[in-house]
Amino acid sequence: MSARVLVAMSGGVDSSVAAAILRERGYDVVGVAMRLAPETAGPAPARRRGTCCSHEDFEDARRVAERMDFPFYVVDLRAEFGARVIDNFVSEYLDGRTPNPCVMCNREIKFDRLRERAAALGADYVATGHYARIERDPRGRFHLLRAADATKDQSYFLFTLGQVELSRTLFPLGAMTKAEVRERARQLGLANADKPESQEICFVPDGDYAGFVERAASPQRLRAGHIVDRSGRTLAAHDGVHRFTVGQRRGLGLSAPAPLYVREIRAESGEIVVGPREDLAAAGLIARDLSFVDPRSIGAGAIAVEARIRYRHPALPATLTIESGGGARVTFEGGGGPAVTPGQACVFYRGEEVVGGGFIERAL
Amino acid sequence: MRIYLDHNAGAPLRPEVRAAIARFSEADEANPAAVHRGGQRARRALEEARARVARLIGAAPREIVFTSGGTESNNLALRGVAETQTKRRRIVSSAIEHSSILAPLEYLAGRGFETIRIVPDRDGRIAPAAVAAALDADTALVTMGLANAEVGTIQDVAAMAEPIARAGALFHIDAAQAAGRIPIRVDDLRCDLLTISGHKLGAPAGIGALYVRAAVALAPAMLGGPQEAGMRGGTPNLLGAVALGVAAEAAAAHLDGESVRVAALAARLLERLGAAIPDLRLNGPGLDSESSAPQKIANTLNLTFPGVLGESMLIALDLEGVEVSMGSACAAGAVEPSHVLLAMGLGRDEARSSLRLSLGWSTTADEIERAAETIARVWRRVRAAEPTTTRTTTVAPAKRAAVSEAAR
Repeated sequence: MSARVLVAMSGGVDSSVAAAILRERGYDVVGVAMRLAPETAGPAPARRRGTCCSHEDFEDARRVAERMDFPFYVVDLRAEFGARVIDNFVSEYLDGRTPNPCVMCNREIKFDRLRERAAALGADYVATGHYARIERDPRGRFHLLRAADATKDQSYFLFTLGQVELSRTLFPLGAMTKAEVRERARQLGLANADKPESQEICFVPDGDYAGFVERAASPQRLRAGHIVDRSGRTLAAHDGVHRFTVGQRRGLGLSAPAPLYVREIRAESGEIVVGPREDLAAAGLIARDLSFVDPRSIGAGAIAVEARIRYRHPALPATLTIESGGGARVTFEGGGGPAVTPGQACVFYRGEEVVGGGFIERAL
Repeated sequence: MRIYLDHNAGAPLRPEVRAAIARFSEADEANPAAVHRGGQRARRALEEARARVARLIGAAPREIVFTSGGTESNNLALRGVAETQTKRRRIVSSAIEHSSILAPLEYLAGRGFETIRIVPDRDGRIAPAAVAAALDADTALVTMGLANAEVGTIQDVAAMAEPIARAGALFHIDAAQAAGRIPIRVDDLRCDLLTISGHKLGAPAGIGALYVRAAVALAPAMLGGPQEAGMRGGTPNLLGAVALGVAAEAAAAHLDGESVRVAALAARLLERLGAAIPDLRLNGPGLDSESSAPQKIANTLNLTFPGVLGESMLIALDLEGVEVSMGSACAAGAVEPSHVLLAMGLGRDEARSSLRLSLGWSTTADEIERAAETIARVWRRVRAAEPTTTRTTTVAPAKRAAVSEAAR
């Protein structure tokens, strides 16, 4: 009997082609679409297509399953997504950090909760349409590698996967380019071959994160305060620290001779510290909540890595030192690093390979 | 080989129906309203089918209106009564009805009707006294499901009829799940309207009927020609009607033997699952002892599986070839916990852990043995792989009979 694989399908072209490829390779494919975001209020037409949880997207996924002849189900993971992803997203913003819910969704839902579900359904693997590669070496250890298509590489979002997860995961698109995936979708006659990609966070389809946080949080948790400069001089008042992100320039409502950027968010006092661009450069960062793809491969002492501190950001040469408290100190080579945004993931690479990563606590 | 335990959603075509459809599709089908002899033959086939359906429920043929199914029958009953009403504005129903009752109720509530949805007890029973208490001089209609689709509870509609008649209200019974499973005589039930669904009886989907007592006039749900005594315009679905007639006749002929056989299979399935799954619970009335009046249609087992999500069980069982159901599917295709179980007082977590297994004419003893084995095995796997935390619910579990007791 062929191995059963649970394929997480969004209705988009990537996960559709991933499922179709596995079906062609002879796997016993079971397609699932996850119901994650709470119901959007308002009539159905108000729900935007391409938000990964709309009925139309489920129908797109269902059509692929019908065409490729494998079973397909919609599973309801709203409670888990709400508790483990949305609540975290809201509290991170309220605490003055800029969260990455896609990383959390991968860690908590796709490669944890869905993996449980896969086992419940007798499936050996979970597969997704992520652009990343998994390799197993002769010693049986699993490696997480960047995608062949550097412009689509999504390994950044997957750093929390360890040996157990990787041994039970398939990324069929890792060696393909996006153009190849679309071409494959056309060859297979999939109706969503030319469907545009979703860009926004799936549960905030309008992109208004601040508005989402305000609707989700209790009013007393919103922290209004002042925008100050480095010397502590008040420049303006603001409605809440959740409206800011480190490195932000637009929407500060300030006029100054040189552009001002958010340099630091002090959630406790409600202060947003701004300064000129050159003030943003950090020498390094402290990361917490670390995970490593293969902890056994991590030596003691300083480790040379390339650190990626944001999805759309090149990996920078850095030195990683794991501290006794479980956090890590990352110092950029040559000083004068980039703006560091607390809450975002800092992912450690060695060349093509993801070593691990953590969440940014603060800049150094 | 797949094992179909979802008869309440729709039964496979009965062999008699398959044969009748094959035979009839060979014949030249004309419009039964046409004057020529082709039309006359079609009309005779239609009226034969009508008589067969009438016999299933002890009605006169002219009291049977063919519809497109149970949903249309229920809509015709509720909206057809409401539109003839000038004075009476109250409609009494229950919280555990099918969506084709609940949605028209909501629609009529938005048009000035006062709708009352009586809440059942823990076993899904609607107290006749509660119905009587809800009646007043303003009550136009009472609508009640005879056998509940989710848990199988049979309502004591005969006890409801007297006060309804005294109040001068009409009485509609949704017998979609009961027809063909328990004997039905409309005169004994003393109802004015009664819904029959084709595909629950082993006819295809797309055909149904509404019994309309001779003295009752309904506003048509479909405007058109004078077909179906003016209550449902449009050329009738002749092939469907013929199939429904044959299904009704077959169901009536097999009713005694089939209901005993299916009851024994359901008891066997429950016994085996109860032995394999500690704390498995049967929702709704227990299986009947032979002496008492039937409390439920015996084919339906609504079971709460401890420590697992019904959604996972449903999918895992499907992948193993056992087809069951859970609550209802939302527009997106995800399963929602049953509104019937929630109305009966089960907590959301309990409702989420519940599945409906419904047997029928096609179910065999061998299928039941294999289904029991598969369900127990899948339950163990799902519970080990995906444990749910058992949360305290507001209802007292002691009030619900454990399976071991219920199966007695």
